[in-house]
Amino acid sequence: MATDTVTPTPHATGKPTEARHATAETASRTTVKVRALSREFDGRGVLHDINFDIRDGEFVALLGRSGSGKSTLLRILARLDDEYTGTVQAPKRPAVAFQDSRLLPWKKVLANVMLGLPTRGVDGTETRARAEEMLAEVGLTDHAKAWPKTLSGGEAQRASLARALVRRPELLLMDEPFGALDALTRLRMHQLLRTLRQRHRPALLLVTHDIDEAILLADRVLVLTDGVLSLDLDIPFPVVGRRRRPGFTELRDRLLEELGVADDDR
Amino acid sequence: MVTIDEALVPGTDDRFARKRRKRNGKSATALIAQRAAGPVALLLAWWIVSATGLISERILPTPVAVFEAGANLIGNGELATHLLASAQRAGTGLFFGVIVGVLLALVTGLSRVGERLIDPNLQMLRAMPILALMPLAIVWLGIGETMKVSLVALGVMFPIYLNTHAAIRGADARFLDLAATAGLNKLQLIRHVTIPGALPGFFTGLRFSVAIAWLVLVVAEQTNATSGIGYLMTRARGLSQIDVIMVGLLVYAVLGLASDALVRIIERKVLSWRLTR
Ligand SMILES: Nc1ncnc2c1ncn2[C@@H]1O[C@H](COP(=O)(O)OP(=O)(O)OP(=O)(O)O)[C@@H](O)[C@H]1O
Ligand SMILES: [Mg+2]
Repeated sequence: MATDTVTPTPHATGKPTEARHATAETASRTTVKVRALSREFDGRGVLHDINFDIRDGEFVALLGRSGSGKSTLLRILARLDDEYTGTVQAPKRPAVAFQDSRLLPWKKVLANVMLGLPTRGVDGTETRARAEEMLAEVGLTDHAKAWPKTLSGGEAQRASLARALVRRPELLLMDEPFGALDALTRLRMHQLLRTLRQRHRPALLLVTHDIDEAILLADRVLVLTDGVLSLDLDIPFPVVGRRRRPGFTELRDRLLEELGVADDDR
Repeated sequence: MVTIDEALVPGTDDRFARKRRKRNGKSATALIAQRAAGPVALLLAWWIVSATGLISERILPTPVAVFEAGANLIGNGELATHLLASAQRAGTGLFFGVIVGVLLALVTGLSRVGERLIDPNLQMLRAMPILALMPLAIVWLGIGETMKVSLVALGVMFPIYLNTHAAIRGADARFLDLAATAGLNKLQLIRHVTIPGALPGFFTGLRFSVAIAWLVLVVAEQTNATSGIGYLMTRARGLSQIDVIMVGLLVYAVLGLASDALVRIIERKVLSWRLTR
């Protein structure tokens, strides 16, 4: 799969993607299956006939300009919105990391991470240990007993990520979770995400504005343009050292072009 | 001149709230002096006009006379007796009013049917001045304790209900989404999201309620009471003891301030997560 040439395989909307995946990895199961998905707000179409799959453990990045419908799609997969047409198959309880950290201000950080999980008995002890471990992994051990309002933006975002991951979800949905972070923290979060992914292998959908982030992390990139899935592209690179791969820049340009942006700096 | 402290918009980053307060603490004595200047000047003016006989002592007794009357009432235990009677009424009324107000707010806040059935009635009732109900309350409940406590409870209930109801209804939709993705059931949602989120609204209501409790009590105690600060003042009026009336007024003022401060302290404890120290 790791070829050194970029082989973009754009798919027209509506065309199933299974055939391609079947050749890439036979007998893999799908975590998410979306068919003919459309969503309107007050008669205005926001998503039009969306079709795609996410396989078990696959990392898919979703790119798209502001207002293209990314969050709308993510909310539907998260089962927060059921007023759509078409069919959506997704795990019953995907974990979600929202764009804002969305920590409940009246719960300490550890309690936020454990929200909705058992807190009593044997299960409680187990989830508490797991939550503490997860906080350690995102570097927040010292803040476990802190109020969310005392956290910095990056710390809050990491707590939110810990809350999503401690559930060991089959599917993890992330809506621009690193948007508000500085470049250094962002790199640390990327590293963290890679590590955690290797350990838990959830299927992952990451909404992002950052093309580099998409290419560096994902197995596959989807581009949403005005509510239409205009590009569905495998990233033909091995997990590490992507930036130095020949073909990286071409792929980057291809995506920029798809998003309607020209990079003057090339 | 805009100092850096003022330029920080309050509430944008609560983490700095405490530091800001600390730096202001340097000039705390000066601030207290400024705040005290007004009342001290008023007291002085009172003393001058009454002691010089500019206003007759039968209309405005001197501060010393009022102080002596107060000391006398404390000495013979009368003040304590009446204070206790008043505090008991206020406390009981507050207790029941808060419970009923919170229960109604929960019903109307958590169920649309409950809201449609109950809320319009309460919105209509609240337009009525509570003290206008006194004649009716006397006919229905008599002139005893039940009437007084019920009136206080009714007066207390409205601010609690209105503020708590609005807080529950105004719950942050983002947190409701979060609760759904975290898989909280209805009860967990109420416990972990709805109620903590509505607490600030509840406390706003509680502070109004405490003020209203005293207000209703003042009036209720002036009709057919045999105990309480209000009774003490009514009796003094009959005996033309203006100094005692003024002692009563001061006691009410102190009670109002003290109970408000108490609620604030509790609020700060319970809502410590807001970090607005
Ligand atoms: N509840 C709603 N009611 C009406 N219109 C909505 C609603 N939610 C989203 N929309 C509209 O749907 C379109 C897509 O919104 P969405 O939030 O999915 O965009 P997005 O791709 O996530 O954008 P961004 O990158 O800026 O977050 C927008 O035009 C938005 O105005
Ligand atoms: Mg969005």
